[in-house]
Amino acid sequence: MNIQIKNPIAKLIIYAILILWGISVLYPLIWTLLDSLKNNEQFFLNAPWALPEIPLIWSNFSYVWSKYHFDTYFVNSLVITTGSTILALLLSATTAYVLARYKFRGSNALFLLYISSMMVPFVLALIPLFFLMNSLGLINTKLGLIFVYTSSLLAFGIFVLVGFFKSLPKELEEAAIVDGASYYGTFFRVMLPLAQPGLITVGIVNILNIWNEYIVGTILINDPTQYTLPVEIGVMQAEMQYRTEWGPLFAALLITIIPVLIIYIIFQRQIASGITAGAVK
Amino acid sequence: MNSGTVKWQRNIFIASFIIPTLLFFGVFTIYPVVQSLYYSFFDWSGMSETKTFVGFDNFKEMFHDPIVWRAIGNDYFLVAGKVIGIMLLATFFAVALTRFGFKLAGFFRSIFFIPNVISVVVIGVLWNFIYNPQIGFLNAFLSLFTSEKVSITWLGFSDHTIWMLLPPAIWAGIGFYMILLIAAIQSIPASYFEAASIEGAGEWKQFWSITLPLVWEQMKVSILNIMMTTLNGSFVIVWIMTEGGPDNSTQVMGSYLYQMAFRQFHFGYGASIGFIILVLSLITTIVLQRLMRHDPVEMS
Repeated sequence: MNIQIKNPIAKLIIYAILILWGISVLYPLIWTLLDSLKNNEQFFLNAPWALPEIPLIWSNFSYVWSKYHFDTYFVNSLVITTGSTILALLLSATTAYVLARYKFRGSNALFLLYISSMMVPFVLALIPLFFLMNSLGLINTKLGLIFVYTSSLLAFGIFVLVGFFKSLPKELEEAAIVDGASYYGTFFRVMLPLAQPGLITVGIVNILNIWNEYIVGTILINDPTQYTLPVEIGVMQAEMQYRTEWGPLFAALLITIIPVLIIYIIFQRQIASGITAGAVK
Repeated sequence: MNSGTVKWQRNIFIASFIIPTLLFFGVFTIYPVVQSLYYSFFDWSGMSETKTFVGFDNFKEMFHDPIVWRAIGNDYFLVAGKVIGIMLLATFFAVALTRFGFKLAGFFRSIFFIPNVISVVVIGVLWNFIYNPQIGFLNAFLSLFTSEKVSITWLGFSDHTIWMLLPPAIWAGIGFYMILLIAAIQSIPASYFEAASIEGAGEWKQFWSITLPLVWEQMKVSILNIMMTTLNGSFVIVWIMTEGGPDNSTQVMGSYLYQMAFRQFHFGYGASIGFIILVLSLITTIVLQRLMRHDPVEMS
């Protein structure tokens, strides 16, 4: 049962605050779109909220895409995000399944190890990671980033998926075993498909995290052909002090934002359940 | 098949599902964390092979480094500011979007979460533009109310610049905690509210005596989470927006670590900063948990 607010003034104030906050969130996005269609002159002569003049400078996008090599960065981000999401899902699902279903010596300790690692600040790992990757020859490689990102996602995935596998009925597995399925057959043909909602939730949260990651990318990648989108955004902003290309910068922001916005619009519910599942520690 | 083979098959199965993950985790997460503690006892430029063991010298040096103290102060300033700002607003939004039967609640909820899916780099660049002294939104907006054009350098005054990092941090964080609190509020049985309203409890009374006590656990989790993510991760937005400047005034421990290690090549010193971040977040977790032990149920 909901409260029906009778006081019209209270209702008005609450609505006004909600609308103001909504504007504060949406406006910078709309503004990014509008500003990506302006040239420098419009930035310096007009108010920041002025609409872009006709003709719109659509060339900002093609300029950033080809001259700033956003085609390359987009593909890099795509490959790294896909690679680490799949690898992290596979590794965390297998371990989570065993931890949820089989008791063996050290299984509790192992679960605790993964969970408690979520409490350790990741900054701590940055310096040794740089030297480790350097000695493994994985600096400036997509594979290097995929390995580090995968590892950083394991604890969250295991935590959520252990809970998920535990919630699945045991009878299904027993039936599969009776039918003569092997341990592997039971997992890959029966349990993994049943865990699909959990896998999607973890996968979406992983995708958002990796697509947006900046600091590990900056430390492990210094070859411009291997940059990811966030790393290039950071570099581009630093360059703005010497050459002002505001329109292209906003076009670049938009290219980076749009894929995650689309994923968010499609998978809102999974993201919300990932948050609530991940926070119940 | 005898039971010995079955047991073997089972063990092999378990091992094959545990070991690859553990190997990955060991090499790319556990090893670096442990190694970081080891590095903190060395003077090491990273470029040469020679590391000099210096014992606790890095920590002694940190004790006398005014930037370290400033960075710790800034970290806790951001923790306090974010806890207050985010918890107040997220609670307000969560209550408004669940308890009041607003028709557009779902729409608002979707919108408010958007900053949480955007990269921190993008958020930093957007807010830098809002603060931009020549073409930024904030100065242009303030100019509407004055006869002269306002041209304040928002990120330029060393004593106050840290304040300017608070709005983007709060703006970017609200949605996540709002979703958590909405889930908590929605799990409260409706009969509690019904009973209360039959007994004549108004909206305020219901909030203080039902909603707040029953979501207190979730609020504790949120406050601890804000503290952790701020101590461990706020350096990204700091690095993007100010690089710790002007004059180290917005330095936080994370950005100082980054600067010391990857800009000035004092890797040993950087590693000991990392060690202090770990100690601080552990101590703060324990202190906060003690402080928040009591339930507000007793107060109402």
